[in-house]
Amino acid sequence: MFKRLLASLAGAAFIGAVGAGLPAQAQDYPTGPITVVVPFSAGGPTDTVTRLVAESMSKSLGQQVIVENVGGAGGTLGAARVAKAEPDGYTLLLHHIGMATSATLYRKLPYDPKAAFAPIGLVTEVPMVLVARKDFPPNNLQELITYVKEHKDEVTYANAGIGAASHLCGMLFMQAIETPLTTVPYKGTGPAMTDLLGGQVDFLCDQTTNTTNQIKAGEVKAYGVFADQRLANLPDLPTVKEGGLEGQSFAIWHGLYAPAGTPEPIVNKLSEALKAALADQTVIDRFAELGTAPVPADQATPAALQQKVTSEIDRWKPVIEAAGEYAD
Amino acid sequence: MTANRKDLTAGLLFIAIAALFALGALGQDLGTPRKLGPGAFPLLLSGILALLGAAVALKAFRTPAGGPVTIPWRGILLILVGPIIFGLTIRGLGLLATVALIVAVSTYASRRMSLWLSLAITIGLTAFCMLVFHLGLGLPIRLIGPWLSGAGLAAFGSGG
Amino acid sequence: MDLLLNLGLGFETALTPINILYCFIGVLLGTLIGVLPGIGPTATIAMLLPITLSLSPVTALIMLAGIYYGAQYGGSTTAILVNMPGESSSAVTAIDGYQMARRGQAGHALAAAALGSFFAGTGATLVIAVLAPPLTDVALKFGPAEYFSLMFLGLITSVALAHGSIVKALAMVVLGLLLGLVGTDIYTGTPRFTLGFIELSDGINFVAVAVGIFGIAEILRNLENEHEREVGTQPIGRLMPGKAELKQIAGPVLRGTALGSLLGVLPGGGHILASFASYTVEKRISKTPERFGKGAIEGVAGPESANNAGAQTSFIPMLTLGIPSNPVMALMIGAMIIQGIAPGPNVAADEPALFWGIIVSMWVGNLLLVILNLPLIGLWVRLLKVPYFVLFPAILAFSAIGIYSINSNAFDLFAVSVFGILGYVLVKCECEPAPLLLGFVLGPMLEEHLRRAMIISRGDPTVFVTRPLSLALLILAVGVLVVVLLPAIARKREKVFIEED
Repeated sequence: MFKRLLASLAGAAFIGAVGAGLPAQAQDYPTGPITVVVPFSAGGPTDTVTRLVAESMSKSLGQQVIVENVGGAGGTLGAARVAKAEPDGYTLLLHHIGMATSATLYRKLPYDPKAAFAPIGLVTEVPMVLVARKDFPPNNLQELITYVKEHKDEVTYANAGIGAASHLCGMLFMQAIETPLTTVPYKGTGPAMTDLLGGQVDFLCDQTTNTTNQIKAGEVKAYGVFADQRLANLPDLPTVKEGGLEGQSFAIWHGLYAPAGTPEPIVNKLSEALKAALADQTVIDRFAELGTAPVPADQATPAALQQKVTSEIDRWKPVIEAAGEYAD
Repeated sequence: MTANRKDLTAGLLFIAIAALFALGALGQDLGTPRKLGPGAFPLLLSGILALLGAAVALKAFRTPAGGPVTIPWRGILLILVGPIIFGLTIRGLGLLATVALIVAVSTYASRRMSLWLSLAITIGLTAFCMLVFHLGLGLPIRLIGPWLSGAGLAAFGSGG
Repeated sequence: MDLLLNLGLGFETALTPINILYCFIGVLLGTLIGVLPGIGPTATIAMLLPITLSLSPVTALIMLAGIYYGAQYGGSTTAILVNMPGESSSAVTAIDGYQMARRGQAGHALAAAALGSFFAGTGATLVIAVLAPPLTDVALKFGPAEYFSLMFLGLITSVALAHGSIVKALAMVVLGLLLGLVGTDIYTGTPRFTLGFIELSDGINFVAVAVGIFGIAEILRNLENEHEREVGTQPIGRLMPGKAELKQIAGPVLRGTALGSLLGVLPGGGHILASFASYTVEKRISKTPERFGKGAIEGVAGPESANNAGAQTSFIPMLTLGIPSNPVMALMIGAMIIQGIAPGPNVAADEPALFWGIIVSMWVGNLLLVILNLPLIGLWVRLLKVPYFVLFPAILAFSAIGIYSINSNAFDLFAVSVFGILGYVLVKCECEPAPLLLGFVLGPMLEEHLRRAMIISRGDPTVFVTRPLSLALLILAVGVLVVVLLPAIARKREKVFIEED
C-alpha cells in the first residue's frame, strides 16, 4: 500500500512539473508513468502477457508502467484510443494478431493498422493447438481429418467468437481440409472450453495459453500444434506438419506499439526496454508456464514488427474474405 | 372518460420501445431453425413486449386515475447533465477539475443550495475523491488533464 | 479422513499471521469499494494486481479473493442504504432492504445481511471442501439446452419479485431482455441496435444501467419532496436483531445458502440467478407474501445468503477446471499465471497448500467480515444522517468515477443519464426496475444458449424436452407460470395491491 502511495505522490509531482510548461524531451524520456493500453478485458492471455512485460519494463525504464484495459469490439476500441493519443511515448498499445486481422474483419475501422502506429517490437508468439473432447473417436490428426470429412454434418467446431484466435484457426483448418463444418461460437475461450470438457461440442483449436493445462491433465485429446517444431513443454504432441497438414504454421503474435509520430529516440529506448524485459528470467519463466516464450532479441525491434503487421494483413485478407465472415 | 395516466404512459412506452426494436430486428437476417439469425430472437421479444404494452395500456381505462404528479425539472436537468459533463471532460480536464465541476453543478439540484454550501461540498468531495480513488486505489486517471497543463497546450499548438 | 488432513493443511496455511493480515486487508478493501457505488471488484482487482506481485502466491490470491467476497458484501450495504446495487446480485437486496431503511430498520437489514452472509460463507466453504469434484461434474452436464431452460425458469420466477402488476413485471423482464441484446451478435458478428455507435458494439454496460435505473432514478425521486426524504429523518432503531428476528431469518438463510451454493457452481449466469431465485422462493413460501417489497427481513436475509454462497462456490470451476465463471475469476486466473501457478485441473494435486489455503481463508475472511462489519453497521447507518444535499452529489461523483474506471469509456457515462431518465419515468409509472435488470443480464445468455442448442441439435427444437434435465426445468417453469396466472391467486394479488395503493 505504502509503495503505491509513494508512486502516486511521485506521479502527482510529475504532473505538476509538466504543468509548468515543459514539452516532453526525448533525451530524458521517460520522466513520468507510462500507460500501456491492453485492448481486452483484464485476466485474459493478452492482459497477462502485458502485465508481465510491463512489470519488467518498469525496472529498466525507472518509471512505473501502468496497464490500462480498454476492452471492446475485438480490440479495435483500445487500438483506436492509442492511435489518437499524443505521440509522446507515454501511451502505448499491446495488441495481438487482431491488429492485422481487424484490417479485413472490420470494414469500417477508425484507423489504419499499417500507418497509425509506430511499431516498437514483437513480444511473443503463442502457438495454436488442435484439441477435442476426451471421448472423440479419432486418435491422431490423420484420423481426425478422415473422420471430420466423413461426418461433416455431425461434427461441431467451437470457437471463442468472431475474430478470436480459435475463429481464425478454424477458418484456416477448414480451408486446408476443404470441408466447411458446423461452427458453434462462444463468448470467449472459457465457456468454449467448458463445453468441450462437458462433451457438448467436438473440437476446437486455441492458443497453448488456454489449452496446455487441460492437455497435461488428460482432460482433452490433443492432435497437433500449428508450429514448425514440437513445443518444449508438450514434447509428445506432434506438429500438424508431421500429421500431414503441409505449410500450416500459425501463431498468435503480440506486438508493442506507440502512436505514429512518436520520436525515433523514444521508440528505440522503448524497444531496448522491451528487449531487456524479454531477457528477464522471471518473464521467461512465466511465459513458459503460459506455454509460450519471448521472441528472440532481433524480433523485438520496430522493423520486425512492421514487417509482421504488413505480411499478416496480406496473409489473412484472402482467408477472411473467402470465409465471408466479418465482424462489423 | 378518465384513464390512469401511469398505466397509459407505461403501456405506450412499452409499445414504442417494442416498435423501435422490431424495426431494428427486421433489418437483420432472421435465419433458419438450424441457424437462427441475429433478427429472430429480438423480433419475437418485440412482439411479446408490444402485446404486454397493449395489455397495460388497455388496463389504464379500467383503473382509477391517479393523483397529480410533481416533476422536479430542475433536479432532472442538473443531475442528468452530470455524467454527460464527466464523460466529455474527464480526459481533457483530469480528475480534479471534472469532479469539482459535476459536484458543483449537481448541488444546485437541491432547492436549498447556497453558494457557500455548494463551494464547501465541492471542495470536500473533490478532496475526498482524490484521496480515495487516486491515492488509495491508484486509479489510472490523470489528476490534471492536458487541457489545463502547459505541455498539453504546447502539443495542441504544434498540431499534435 | 483425507478431508480432515486437507482442511488441516488449509488452516495451517490460512492462519499464518501474514495471510490473516492480507485476508483482512482484502476484505476491508473489498467492503470499502463495495460500499462506493459504481466501482466494482473487477476494476479493483485489476488495479491492485501489480501490488500483489510482491507477495507469495497464496497470500496474493487470499487477498484478491477477500476483495471479491468483501465487495459482494459491501455492495449490499449501498443497496440497503441508498437503493444503489453495484452488482447484479445485490439488485434483489435493494428491494426489501431499502424499504427497511426507509422505515428506520436499516440496522436490522444490515445485521441480517451480515449474519446471513457469514452463515452462507461458512456453508459454502464446507460445500467447496467436500463437494467440489462432484459439483464440477454436474456443471459439465449442463449443455446449452439445460442453460436455456434454467434461465427461462429464472425469468418466469422473477415476475414474483414485483409487488405490483404481473403484466408490468413481465413487460419489464422483456424490455430488459431486449436491452441486453444491444451489441454485436456473437454468432454472425453483426452489430444490432447500436445506432451506429461503435462503443455499443459490446452492449450496454451493466453498471451504467444499474446505476442509472436504480441510483439516478432514486435521486430524482428523492428530489421531488426534499424535505420529506424518509431515510435519515427516521430513527436508526436497534442494530442487533432480537431472538424473534433471528428465528425469522433462520429458514431463509438456510435455503438461500443451499440455493446459492448449487447455482454458484454453474459457469455463466449461475450466481446471478441465485439471489433472484432465493427471493422468489421466500416470497412463495411465506405466509405473508404481501410484506415482500415493503420491507420484509426474509427478503434481505435469503438473497444475501444466496449471493454470498454463490460468490464463493463460483470458485469451484476456477479451482477444479481452471475455467473462469465470471470476470473476477478470469482475473484470479490471470493472477495465478503471473504468480507462476498453472491454473487447471492439477492445482489441487500439485499445490495442495495453495488450494486448501484459499478455501479455508474464505471462511476466515467471512469471519473477519462479520467482526469488521457488525461494529461498522452503526457507522454506515449514521451515513444516512448525512444531509441529502451532500449525499447525492457524492453518489453522483463516485459512480461516475467508478463507471469510467471500468473501460475508460465516456460513452458509458452518457448511458447512465439515458437510463437515469428511463428509470425515473418507469418508476413513476409504477414499474419495478429489478425484473428489468435480471432480463438485461440474462437476455444475451438466453439467446446465446437458445441458438447454440439449435445449432448442436441441427435445428431440432425438441432438444429442450428430450434432455431430462432440461425437461425438468421447463416443467418447473410452466408450473410457476400456472401458479402465478391462476385466476384466484391473480385476483388475490390484485386485491392486495389495490388495497395498499
